[in-house]
Amino acid sequence: MNTLVRRAVLSLTIVAFLLTPLSAEDWFRWRGPNLDGISSESDWDCDWPEGKAVIAWRASVGIGYSSVVIADGRVFTIGHVDGHDVVHAIHESDGTIAWRFQYPATLDDRDFEGGPTSTPTVDGEQVYVLSRAGELFCLNVGTGESIWQQSVAEQADVRLPGWGCSAAPLVVGDRLLVNLGAAGAVVDKKTGELIWSSEDRESGYATPVVMPDSNPPAAIFASGKAYVAVEIETGRQLWSERWLTSFNCNAADPIISERRMFLSSGYNRGAALFELGKEAPKLIWKSKEMKNQIHGSILYEGCLYGLDGDMEAGARLRCMDWKTGEVRWSEDDLQPGGMTLAGGRLILLTESGELLVAPADAEVWRPIAETKVVEGKCWTGPVLSNGRIYVRSIQGELVCIDCRS
Amino acid sequence: MPIQRRTFLAGTAAAAAAVSAPAIHAAAKSKQYRTALIGAGWWGMNILREALAAGQTKVVALADVDSDRLEINAEEVNDLSGETPAVYSDYRELFEKEDIEVAIIATPDHWHALNTIAAINAGAHVFIEKPTGHTIGESQAILNASEMSDRVVQVGMHRRIGPHHVSGMKFLKSGGAGEVGMVRMFVHSRGGEEKPTRNSEPPENLDWEMYCGPAPLRPYCGRIHPGGFRNYLGFANGTLGDWGVHWLDQVLWWCDQQSPRSVYSVGGRPIKGEAVLTEKEQTTDAPDHQIATYQFDDFTAHWEHRRFAGKGPEQTSIGCYFFGTKGTFHMGWRDGWTFYPADEKKSIIHEDSQLQEPDGHNIKLLWADFLQAIETGSKPVAGIEIGHQATTLSLLGMLSLKLGRSIQWDGNTIPDDPDAARLLRRDYRGDWVYPS
Repeated sequence: MNTLVRRAVLSLTIVAFLLTPLSAEDWFRWRGPNLDGISSESDWDCDWPEGKAVIAWRASVGIGYSSVVIADGRVFTIGHVDGHDVVHAIHESDGTIAWRFQYPATLDDRDFEGGPTSTPTVDGEQVYVLSRAGELFCLNVGTGESIWQQSVAEQADVRLPGWGCSAAPLVVGDRLLVNLGAAGAVVDKKTGELIWSSEDRESGYATPVVMPDSNPPAAIFASGKAYVAVEIETGRQLWSERWLTSFNCNAADPIISERRMFLSSGYNRGAALFELGKEAPKLIWKSKEMKNQIHGSILYEGCLYGLDGDMEAGARLRCMDWKTGEVRWSEDDLQPGGMTLAGGRLILLTESGELLVAPADAEVWRPIAETKVVEGKCWTGPVLSNGRIYVRSIQGELVCIDCRS
Repeated sequence: MPIQRRTFLAGTAAAAAAVSAPAIHAAAKSKQYRTALIGAGWWGMNILREALAAGQTKVVALADVDSDRLEINAEEVNDLSGETPAVYSDYRELFEKEDIEVAIIATPDHWHALNTIAAINAGAHVFIEKPTGHTIGESQAILNASEMSDRVVQVGMHRRIGPHHVSGMKFLKSGGAGEVGMVRMFVHSRGGEEKPTRNSEPPENLDWEMYCGPAPLRPYCGRIHPGGFRNYLGFANGTLGDWGVHWLDQVLWWCDQQSPRSVYSVGGRPIKGEAVLTEKEQTTDAPDHQIATYQFDDFTAHWEHRRFAGKGPEQTSIGCYFFGTKGTFHMGWRDGWTFYPADEKKSIIHEDSQLQEPDGHNIKLLWADFLQAIETGSKPVAGIEIGHQATTLSLLGMLSLKLGRSIQWDGNTIPDDPDAARLLRRDYRGDWVYPS
């Protein structure tokens, strides 16, 4: 980009920023309304005297890693309780239960604490839930009644990935995109009818991502061995970028910006930036310095903020330059559990339940607020919506922190 | 957890690799050894990276039964060195087609003997991961093959050269702990009940028949591969056959390679539960805890591991205690070594570890020693005799556990006890021939 264009883009960005309403917004799907892990809300407060935040309410939602989504005054998440996965709809205002919906499920705690790992998706009057066993549930958002349910894994006749399905279902028009098989599956969101599916291979764990400006519309699915671009309407494969990792664990959503695609996986795979065109992606750089094992990074103002390395051993919080892959800074001792970004501030949840807030600064990590909010291990990213921060532990304590100014 | 804040300024952390140029510019040395890695998994690649970083390695070939591992690791070798190795699913074909000067063996234990002997016969110097066999006869066969050749064999026991091990051993051997009458080796971790894993078809990228190789063929499940073989007794020997080799070797080092007279071991799976192996599902079958007692002439050593309850009140979960008249010496891992004087008025003495992270090892030093042995004819610090003896002690513990009684040991074999001696080897499957 030449300087003139860059300046023009910059001023447009500033104008856009100034025009962005600072009001509250519903975080109604995985990685938020803009699918980038970023909330545009800036009018929230982290002035926590003596490290004590205002806890609006606490709720027990069962074992699992499911994140929360928020729509029309309700908070949705999933947790495992006594042989069932339970979808909870909780009133945003006071933490009381609006409804619950449950389906039989095993805890399946091989190699981790078990429980559901995917996050519900709200779409108007419906909430969609994908179980680890590959069953899809379409529920009435107001009542929790089942509208339809289908086992996509059975319909598509594809195997489950090793740790079960963990991607959030993604709504695109009338279609519901599900990460199952070698290159995803798509069902009719009104009926659950399978429209197309892909070859019987292990899927990855990342949520599908729509390719901006693609015509016809296309999405990228993380399989166990590749990131694959397919036409949403037909399932026709456009390209496949081979991306092998131990345990077929491609869990970070690809990040696409200005015809560039960022991929990252853990287990010593590392990261790479590609140029997207009509043909297969073209490698720009690759690096071992950002290994997103479970959580996708967040791209903000030209920098990636992400968790590098093995979560169990202690991941590093890093800031990496998008264009070059250069590590701008690295915080090695935080033991992070998850992260989000809202109004230019990073909100980091540590594995042991401390919440830290720091400006998203490419030069330095400098927290401005810190509070301990929950006991027990946390590996689910926090969410900010309508001035409230949501944090959950694996054991299922969900905490709502009131940050409204 | 206390939160520590540490910030690296921009530019101090490593930058990304440019696509066009290799990331590591190896130190220029005259001799480049044509190197093959057999068993291209997590640990094998750890060794190979150190070999590349040392600057005298040209990786010409990788062998593995998992084509995904071959692909991803060939890519990494290319990233690191700018050269793409040939890949083989069968190590025999590799040794037939390639001219190999150095072989790194990092397969599961049940393959070590066949791989290593093939490498020696192909004229390669060998860096072999411990243990040196799945049964004692295999380890003996590697020793025999090595003695009949002029090739260097280094066993991956980096604790023989790790700085805090060297200084700790100097402290012990110079009488720092007084006269030592008892040693306890231990490795503890957390854990609980194990639920069976469903068997499944092996993934398309895995040659399961070749993975099992000389070992009994068992149904595949995702827990075994990648990375799970140690807890299946057909392929390895559990915690004693893994960590045990390192800590037994520390005892052997300290006592100048004495041999125990008898070994007795008990253990089981009260927490993990009975081992399961059906057509539908399976569990691991290694013991979840084990105690093994080694009776030496002048002292007793005992091994203890448990995979539940965590580290316990002592705040250390791994290492050796040498109990002496002057106090207790702890040889640890990441926590270095510490001497606790019996006289409580005296100060505790401590030395930190100096390890390579993230995996906490000293392969860099061990590899340098290996190269030196090849180039100068010096004796490798963890040569095959040393590896063989430590491996043998760990396998004697397993043998006693399986037999359910104590066994005698004369330094070479189990005398006058054919039932026990039979377990020094096992029958191989199919056409594979047990080495001698």
